[in-house]
Amino acid sequence: MEEKEFLLSVLRKEQKNKRYISEDALKRISKKTDIPISRIYGAATFYSMLHEQKQAKNIIYVCDGPSCHVNNSKNITAYLKKKLNKSRKFSLHTASCIGCCDEAPAMLLNGNAYTKLTKEKIDEIIKKCKS
Amino acid sequence: MQILRKTELKAFKKAKRLGASGIIKILKQKGLVGRGGAAFPTGTKWEFALNTKANEKFVICNADEGEPGTFKDKFIIKYNPEALVEGILIAAYTIKARQAFIYLRGEYSYLENHLKRVVSKVLRKAKSSLKIGIIVGAGAYVCGEETAVIESIEGFRGQPYYKPPYPPTQGLYGEPTIINNVETFANVPQAILFNDWDKELRLYSLSGNLTNPGIYELPVGYSLAELIGLGKPKNKIKAVYFGCFGGCIPYSDIKLTPENVCGKNCAVGAFTIIAVDEKQSILDIAENIAKFYEHESCGKCTPCREGTKRICDIIRKIKSGKAGKDDLADLKELAENIQETSLCGLGQTATNHLLTALQYFKKEFEERIK
Repeated sequence: MEEKEFLLSVLRKEQKNKRYISEDALKRISKKTDIPISRIYGAATFYSMLHEQKQAKNIIYVCDGPSCHVNNSKNITAYLKKKLNKSRKFSLHTASCIGCCDEAPAMLLNGNAYTKLTKEKIDEIIKKCKS
Repeated sequence: MQILRKTELKAFKKAKRLGASGIIKILKQKGLVGRGGAAFPTGTKWEFALNTKANEKFVICNADEGEPGTFKDKFIIKYNPEALVEGILIAAYTIKARQAFIYLRGEYSYLENHLKRVVSKVLRKAKSSLKIGIIVGAGAYVCGEETAVIESIEGFRGQPYYKPPYPPTQGLYGEPTIINNVETFANVPQAILFNDWDKELRLYSLSGNLTNPGIYELPVGYSLAELIGLGKPKNKIKAVYFGCFGGCIPYSDIKLTPENVCGKNCAVGAFTIIAVDEKQSILDIAENIAKFYEHESCGKCTPCREGTKRICDIIRKIKSGKAGKDDLADLKELAENIQETSLCGLGQTATNHLLTALQYFKKEFEERIK
């Protein structure tokens, strides 16, 4: 069995390439895999990293787990929200726990972990993304 | 650290000499138990899968470490993935599985390529024909539950189903399946190879309001005060959370054994310790964790799907200062109902944090009551 045969892997790849799982994508995947479209839609809407709406080029998940919470992750989210100010280049979400609890507060940006976040560090990370 | 010892396929060679029943015997003798939180004897689990007749059998490594505050599996994947892969090889050899999977949580996708390289290196060295596929998740806490992992790999919504049947007799695609956690698999080759392997050592994930958090390898029953001391808190520690599912206790010096922690109405699970200092509000944390469960409830059973939502509503009402005594009583009753009537481990433990917070820190709730 190859990984490409697994629906979850197919959906992840679609999310990565097209930045969302569109209705067209559901139809296309259904045709290709012979899996009913309803089941694919069920799976696609189950996971928080698969989106029905098109995401920006850069996706951020700020960790909102309790370890990050007690290390002021709320301020990080608020700062990012203000800084990105509905920028079209970024989609901002919170995540349950990204497993960087010993380096809180933390976030994922395009799948990579950034930890021990401060406002200065965020400025730097966002600047790099924009250039 | 014991967990970082290299076995370099010597355990796999020894396992092949021992044969299936010999492997199971040695795992039982050495007392290896599952490290995902349930502490089920590994040898016994494998024996069930071995004794079930089937043409096809599978091995799944559960690397969907989603319990908030837990990051020990990531540590192993980063620093001793060879042991993990060797553990999978031994499991597959034991039950004659031709296909194995590593279900890696979506939040760790940046480890996928590293893990892939290690898998192919170890398989090449072992001259094994075993196939190990890496399936990357996409953000779902419940997929740490073994039946949910199976559903997810099969391409369904990652919702748990009723047990029995248990995976060792009927698992992936209905076939006998061994599912173990990363830490368990990494311990298999070490338990088989080393005479001085210590079954009591655990990886404690220590985090929270500490200046020196991290992974600490310490025995079961280690003193909480000494552990917190290692974490070097800046302020006085008020409470300790055993992840989200395990509940909380006021900080005191107890020995961290499953029995002791259970005596406080908590669960030690996978040895996750989140230390919270006196500057934190327990009510705020209750809201944070309640939001987590509301988001992560898979929606299959009613008590968990609807109950976790209502719990959030009541906590927010209390926080806003608009709640009365009745709301507090409702909160407790609802929390107990969810615990008693939910289908899977997620729902059954979703309100532990709240019930223990109400038991030990009721004052912080009552302060906001009209």
